Amino acid sequence: MALKKPAPTAPSSDDERRLARDLPGLLSALAAADPLARRWAARDLAAHPNASRALVDRLRIETEPSVSQVILTTLTRLGDEIAVAGLTECLRSEDAMLRNAAIEAMKQLPDEVAPVMEQLLKDDDPDVRIFAVDVLESLRHPRVEEWLIRVIAEDPHVNVCATAVDLLGEVGSERAVPTLHALKARFVDEPYIQFAADLALKRIAQG
Amino acid sequence: MTQARMISDEDFRKFREFFYRKTGMLFEDSKRYFVDKRLLERMDATDSESFRAYFTMVRFQASGEELQTLINAMTVNETYFFREEYQFRCLVDSMLEEIVTHTRQQRALRIWSVPSSSGEEPYGIAIYLLEHWPRLDDWDIEIVSSDIDTEILNQARRGRYTHRSIQNLPPSLLAKYFRRDGDHYLIDQELREAVDFTRVNVSDAADMRRHRHFDIIFCRNLLIYFDDLSRKQTAESFYDALNPGGFICLGHSESMSRISSLFRVRKFPEAIVYQKPWEAR
Amino acid sequence: MKRILVIDDAATVRLYHRSILEELGFEVSEAVNGLEALERVAEGDFDLYLVDINMPKLDGYGFLRELRGKDMPQAPAIMVSTEAGANDQKLAFLSGANLYIVKPVRPERLASHVLTLLGMTSNGRGAPS
Repeated sequence: MALKKPAPTAPSSDDERRLARDLPGLLSALAAADPLARRWAARDLAAHPNASRALVDRLRIETEPSVSQVILTTLTRLGDEIAVAGLTECLRSEDAMLRNAAIEAMKQLPDEVAPVMEQLLKDDDPDVRIFAVDVLESLRHPRVEEWLIRVIAEDPHVNVCATAVDLLGEVGSERAVPTLHALKARFVDEPYIQFAADLALKRIAQG
Repeated sequence: MTQARMISDEDFRKFREFFYRKTGMLFEDSKRYFVDKRLLERMDATDSESFRAYFTMVRFQASGEELQTLINAMTVNETYFFREEYQFRCLVDSMLEEIVTHTRQQRALRIWSVPSSSGEEPYGIAIYLLEHWPRLDDWDIEIVSSDIDTEILNQARRGRYTHRSIQNLPPSLLAKYFRRDGDHYLIDQELREAVDFTRVNVSDAADMRRHRHFDIIFCRNLLIYFDDLSRKQTAESFYDALNPGGFICLGHSESMSRISSLFRVRKFPEAIVYQKPWEAR
Repeated sequence: MKRILVIDDAATVRLYHRSILEELGFEVSEAVNGLEALERVAEGDFDLYLVDINMPKLDGYGFLRELRGKDMPQAPAIMVSTEAGANDQKLAFLSGANLYIVKPVRPERLASHVLTLLGMTSNGRGAPS
């Protein structure tokens, strides 16, 4: 026994590769009993622009978290309208893990998420509005500041405003100053809002 | 103006948070001097008036060019034999022990070192195992090492090193495993034959599928160069390249905790590493 | 000095909690998600955890379930949520939280809860404001 050079091509049991790697083959592998086969299928589907629908459908019924993770990564890579709609749907999921993973995925898709953002920020469910603001966190999009200002000016829910004001501390400019003062006046009895708004104002002033 | 050229505590915190989010590298307070120095150098080079101006550019520059330059400046990218040796200690004293205990059937244990760079890491692992892992008498070990750069792979296969590469090695090991070749040191033929060098683009699913059934992966200071999505994608591919119970070791300032939730944090006496759960399917 | 781990993905929230807790004389560490919190726990002991629910990678429930499954001395945990739903409360307690509070957090209330859980208020007059 000792150090041993592996065979030139690494051993592969091929169990998850019996099915062809073309689109129909991958789509059936996506429903295979073995989670490993499902992960490989989900991964390889990144090369197929028409795969979003099947991936979104699978995500709805997938029970193995590691497979859901890979599906979300591929949907982010594909980033088309169907993928974004699927991710948006996850924001309403009861599964916190899935919800948070969808938020992370949407952060990577500024241009694709922008058209649905207005709608999400007006959603009836304050939790969905909070998640939408979370998406804005690292969204590189020219309208982020404008959206955040509108949230803290108009949203009636204190926790939605609280989430938005956190971000304004990072991306806010002079433009946000009057609205930050108005927010402080609107929630004069909420110490957290006072703290976060003061911090944002201080950071903007330093700039 | 000296006023503008200062990095305040608040600046440092903001930068640390941002850089961690971007690269997964975390700078402790003890690295403050190092970080400030690099930042001030980059501010100079880019004619930035203040930290705030520079930071805005790094965050919002569309090309991401300055962020990349900054990452290069923040990672001291020299490699040498037995770099971050504590992880090799963790390999022989903890990780391999756990794997051997769980492995009933006799089989070869497989280690993957990515990126190979010029070979110091995979050869270093081989030497460390020969010197410090007594169970090598009972178990076969296969070492695979990969890089995207075919030029550097050829260099690694040649196994010829400058004094700088080997200066961390004890003289006894240098004498045992190398021979002088002019100004250089040539590694033993036997060691060169023990490591399999392959070309891999870790972002490519087909490349990754050819690399499987590993028990340990060393992937130090590579993921920091990727964007968030590629980093997550690569971590997920590594997950499937590992056997259940397999470990992945990242660079000392990297953390899997902001990259992927698939792995478990394992704290050993020598190091913190990440594990694919034994019960994983 | 008692050590508290503040776990929240929002930097401003961590700073806010830190400022309240440091004022009370606690040593505060931070983590941005449940996984990173588990790394902090592997590195050293804490006397109390302040845990947000919604976080990337590993949420507050997941963190507490992992933590409570560990063979180690267990410290109290306060779950901090944006929602007052009964279902979330139930999940929080099932995951191993000792207390469930709803954002926005008021400094005097947080202080009083923390001191009570750590057995540091015996006069029954609540916490300093």
